[in-house]
Amino acid sequence: MHVRSPRLFFSMFFLISSWIGGLALPFVAAQSTEDSIQESVLKKPEGGIFLKTSSGKTQVPAPLLNTTVTMTISGFIARTTVSQQFTNPSSEWAEGIYVFPLPEQAAVDHLRMRIGERIIEGQIQERAEAKKTYATAKAKGQRVSLLEQERPNIFTASVANIAPNDPITVDIEYQEMVRQDQGRFMLRFPMVVGPRYIPGQPHSIQESPTLQTGHGWAPNTEQVPDASRITPPVQHPRHGLINPMTLHIDLAPGMLLQGIESPTHPITVTKQEDNTYHITLQDSLTYADRDFELIWTPLSSDTPQATVFSEKQDGETYLFLQLMPPVTSSPSQETIPREVVFVIDTSGSMAGSSLTQAKAALTLALSRLTPNDSFNLIQFNSVTQGLYSTSQPASTSRIQEAQRYINGLQANGGTEMRPALVQALAQTPNQKEQHRLRQIIFITDGLIGNEDALFTILERDIGQNRLFTVGIGSAPNGHFMRKAAQFGRGTFTYIGTTQEVQDKMNLLFLKLEHPALTDITIQASHSRMEDMLPNPLPDLYAGEPLTLAFRSSTLPPSITIRGKQSGTIWETTQSLVDAKSRRGIAVHWARQTIAKLLDQQTQNKDKTMLRQSILDLALKHHLVSRYTSLVAVDITPLRPDAQSLRTHALKTNLPHGMQYEAIFGWPQTATPATIYLVLGTLMLWITWIWARQHLAGR
Amino acid sequence: MDHMDLGPATPRGPVTIRMVWIVGSLLFVLGSWLIGQGLWIHVKAAAAQWLLQQAWDETLKTQQPAKPWPWADTWPVGRLIVPRLGINQIILADASGRSLAFGPGKVGNGKFSDAKNESLIVSGHRDTHFSFLRDVQPGEIINLQTVQGDWLRYVVEETAMLDSQTDQLLRYQEKANLLLITCFPFDALLPGGPLRYVVTARPVAPIGIHQTEATARTGGGSRGRGMIGSGSWEFR
Repeated sequence: MHVRSPRLFFSMFFLISSWIGGLALPFVAAQSTEDSIQESVLKKPEGGIFLKTSSGKTQVPAPLLNTTVTMTISGFIARTTVSQQFTNPSSEWAEGIYVFPLPEQAAVDHLRMRIGERIIEGQIQERAEAKKTYATAKAKGQRVSLLEQERPNIFTASVANIAPNDPITVDIEYQEMVRQDQGRFMLRFPMVVGPRYIPGQPHSIQESPTLQTGHGWAPNTEQVPDASRITPPVQHPRHGLINPMTLHIDLAPGMLLQGIESPTHPITVTKQEDNTYHITLQDSLTYADRDFELIWTPLSSDTPQATVFSEKQDGETYLFLQLMPPVTSSPSQETIPREVVFVIDTSGSMAGSSLTQAKAALTLALSRLTPNDSFNLIQFNSVTQGLYSTSQPASTSRIQEAQRYINGLQANGGTEMRPALVQALAQTPNQKEQHRLRQIIFITDGLIGNEDALFTILERDIGQNRLFTVGIGSAPNGHFMRKAAQFGRGTFTYIGTTQEVQDKMNLLFLKLEHPALTDITIQASHSRMEDMLPNPLPDLYAGEPLTLAFRSSTLPPSITIRGKQSGTIWETTQSLVDAKSRRGIAVHWARQTIAKLLDQQTQNKDKTMLRQSILDLALKHHLVSRYTSLVAVDITPLRPDAQSLRTHALKTNLPHGMQYEAIFGWPQTATPATIYLVLGTLMLWITWIWARQHLAGR
Repeated sequence: MDHMDLGPATPRGPVTIRMVWIVGSLLFVLGSWLIGQGLWIHVKAAAAQWLLQQAWDETLKTQQPAKPWPWADTWPVGRLIVPRLGINQIILADASGRSLAFGPGKVGNGKFSDAKNESLIVSGHRDTHFSFLRDVQPGEIINLQTVQGDWLRYVVEETAMLDSQTDQLLRYQEKANLLLITCFPFDALLPGGPLRYVVTARPVAPIGIHQTEATARTGGGSRGRGMIGSGSWEFR
């Protein structure tokens, strides 16, 4: 009877399914444009304003990353291994490029590539040479990994010839010194590079690939010539978190502890024999989306007053000394009138919880001002805006006015930090004569790409000002915080959560309101003190220890330290005879020396000569630096010539609490009206044809 | 079309015909609904602008944010006029998807009252309000009215296509320019693409002077301080 029914059903099925398909199309398409970010990033030409994207038709999944961090802290020295496992889930051979952070003072001295049971030790080479080694091995189809330094706290790991479903693990090892401040010990481990603001005009001509060519989302600009290397692609938070992390810490504090805590992550602490601790993250799944911070507090009776370590290497003695200046009961600085300039970053990356924290910190700081003090408030994003043209007396009405201004602050726009810094440092001749203590409180996440340019300004113009950085948010730029404070002859602190604001700001107030130990000099008996670090010696603020590192062929039996604190001379003599021998002191000295040489480069000293000095030191001590990289090659060729290799820039998470749109800034500006109209019309038309066909002649 | 060609020995039962009717009318309804959805977007865009014009007059008079309809969560902050193209649109305070359905929206926290120092970014849908951007030429005059009733004049410097995945909009906010942004290409079938079309215009006339433009009434020049949303506005 119904001979034509199957056909009818088939055509109906076709109609309905095509209609459903049509409806789903916009969503599918929207999804795929999102996923093809990576493709387009890789193929992106470095053109100027007129950019073109590739459509990214084929979707090959990028290598998956799994990171395990193992830290061994022994007293003041922490040694960390970061194991990055790259797994290739696709059926094609892959190259993975991952831009990640490490602590800004990390002395990275080992790279190991692990394939199954085999371990290949990395070699230190000059950066360009290492890159060539890598490229050659990559082309030959050998498994190879390369570790480069982009900033003291940003590194790139490149791993080539990852076979489908055959993971390669890269172990990166570094050493750092634990920060001691106000009787507490602190260690930060950054997990993600926060999206940097890149000032300047993009290079408009098509560049041929150089050492500065990267795979990031930002084009290189005249102000940040390596922008594409420090801006790894960011996964939109709506697609979930990636890059899982595991953390194991063995802590041997060398003193009795009062407590161990982490303000950033819930931790599990297991006390072991001989006063050591094992620390892990409580959450079984933690993703690389914020800094980790560990704080341990010794019993006050057990806090060491002085620690001396030494290491002999190649006939030379390296020394590390940490010393707490005695706590003076001198009057607090509240009696000395201060001029305080608050600078607050209100750029897009501060939107959300960061701005809330910054506002809370500012409010607290305002409340500490006395009527004798004067103050000003400067906010900056794409533009800089001061509350007053010059500092005003901190009267009740002015404070209230400032408070209203703070409450109304919104975070949006770029991070043009230079004008804000210049404005904060600017003083009228009248102000200079007053010799007031002028403190600049710089509240920012430091997420900018032109650090060196800002350091140059600070170094040149700091004068009698003192700059204190307050690092805000879940993934601040530690390098900026530390160095800006160093060039600004102040100190730095971090606020990662709203709960921390009160505590951390109180510690800062202590430093702001108590006289610092200044004009510190060191004298050694018998021998001259060469190669001593830091050089010049910084001022010490309340609760900060004096930390020295030096190298000497003949070790002096003792040194004498002198300093001034609110007019009185402080002096102490420290014996070096009973220095305990420890590994890592030489590397520490070398790393600090490299940092000093880099600082001198900021001051525009002889760059070529400094570069050579850094290179020599880094090669000798096996250290990754601006000019040296570690490279590990597995000499067995693996990838058949016929098979191609696909490069993937690994995505990173948006740091916790940040708002994607506030940073990348592009609103959605199209409606689905057209697709609705087209689909609807098409449907009516097909329905009409189809119905006519079946009903004609009835 | 002639079903007889398809085979003579194929009598259809009543069930089949009924199914054709049912399925056919169902599809007809759904197709019409889709067209309705598409048209509704355009109707909404046009009707909202009409209501927004009323709210704008109110704003100029009272110097207070005026909601175009009682349940609106946005309000007008400026008026955009492109004389050559006959464009007269009210700009909304934000650029969320909800607001852009009614009119072009201001991106970021630039204040129209402080346009002398700040860049202004306005975005709109490429298929409704900002479809005119494709006709904008370098040298085009754009007038912008602020809440105070001041007229700002801009001249288009360049038009460019940018990739939102590889560029931060933030970089373009350095100068006191006016940026008009919409999606690109204009005729793309699907929304959600990564490309943006950006018109950059630079200020030309002295800013902050009451000009009598034939196209609009100036508001009461009341001076004072007002709060709009969470950001404060300095009224001159």
